[in-house]
Amino acid sequence: MSLYDWLLFFHVTGAFFLLGGILIAGILNFVAIVKDRRPSQVASLYGLIRFAVPLIGAGLLLTLAIGLWLVNEADYGFGEAWVVSAIVLWVLASVLGNIDGKHQRQTGELAQRLAAEGDAPSSELRARLRDPRALAISYGSGLMAFAVLGIMIWKPGA
Amino acid sequence: MLALVRPDSWNLPLFLHVLGATLTFGATATVALLGFAGLRGDPERATWLRGLAFRIGGFVLVPAFVLMRAGAQWIADKEFPGGNDEPGWVGVGFIVTEPGAILLIVMLILAWLAARRPSFRGAVVVPWLASIYLVALGIAWFAMSAKPGS
Repeated sequence: MSLYDWLLFFHVTGAFFLLGGILIAGILNFVAIVKDRRPSQVASLYGLIRFAVPLIGAGLLLTLAIGLWLVNEADYGFGEAWVVSAIVLWVLASVLGNIDGKHQRQTGELAQRLAAEGDAPSSELRARLRDPRALAISYGSGLMAFAVLGIMIWKPGA
Repeated sequence: MLALVRPDSWNLPLFLHVLGATLTFGATATVALLGFAGLRGDPERATWLRGLAFRIGGFVLVPAFVLMRAGAQWIADKEFPGGNDEPGWVGVGFIVTEPGAILLIVMLILAWLAARRPSFRGAVVVPWLASIYLVALGIAWFAMSAKPGS
């Protein structure tokens, strides 16, 4: 196996971690918002989302670092349109994902507090879960990461 | 360096295959997480989490698996028409998806029973089967990306 093969394996591993982690967080978030749930149930779901965070972090690191190495190893140019657009989308997805992560962490903490205080349905929690701006950031960030997968395969302009 | 010389007509099946594989990985991991979480805590919470594991298995994992497997067949038919001269790494993919389908069916049946009966002892098997399948997917993506022996 050549260096290129090993790099491609670790790059693909990063993509699986990143996209798999995004899907875990997306599914659990969707389950939390699709019905009116008790704060204890929301806290349980958000408690599981934290397992996706290291997966997403490792995926982001591997896809970018090994991806840049692959561009060099395979003699692509760093100025090629598909490389630049993939990096721009990666940065945007990371920034939006970071903003979303803070919102989700605060929502999880609120759900935990409400669960400990009697577990009664809360309009504040419902509003946070269904905040359209937060949802747009969350799902927009995930879709950008999946768009990078398409760019990696079609390599427009290469 | 197949990726450098791949014909354009292979891109859509490859995209669908890889998309299905990443979704299968994420959905399987979600089933494992919910399955392990559903082994602890009070019975009402455990049953709810096991029910979620079953529904995510049925509504997300199964379609993702079908997308992965159909995309695999489509690209394999283009790359190796008639199954001629298929290298070993393609065979690894089929080993992971075909017996893997049986494993997922068993897992879903057990998840369904676990969601219906709080005292069902087989509930403990569900997240472990999902974990085994995650390892199998890892072996497949190693074979598909690094293509050892080719």
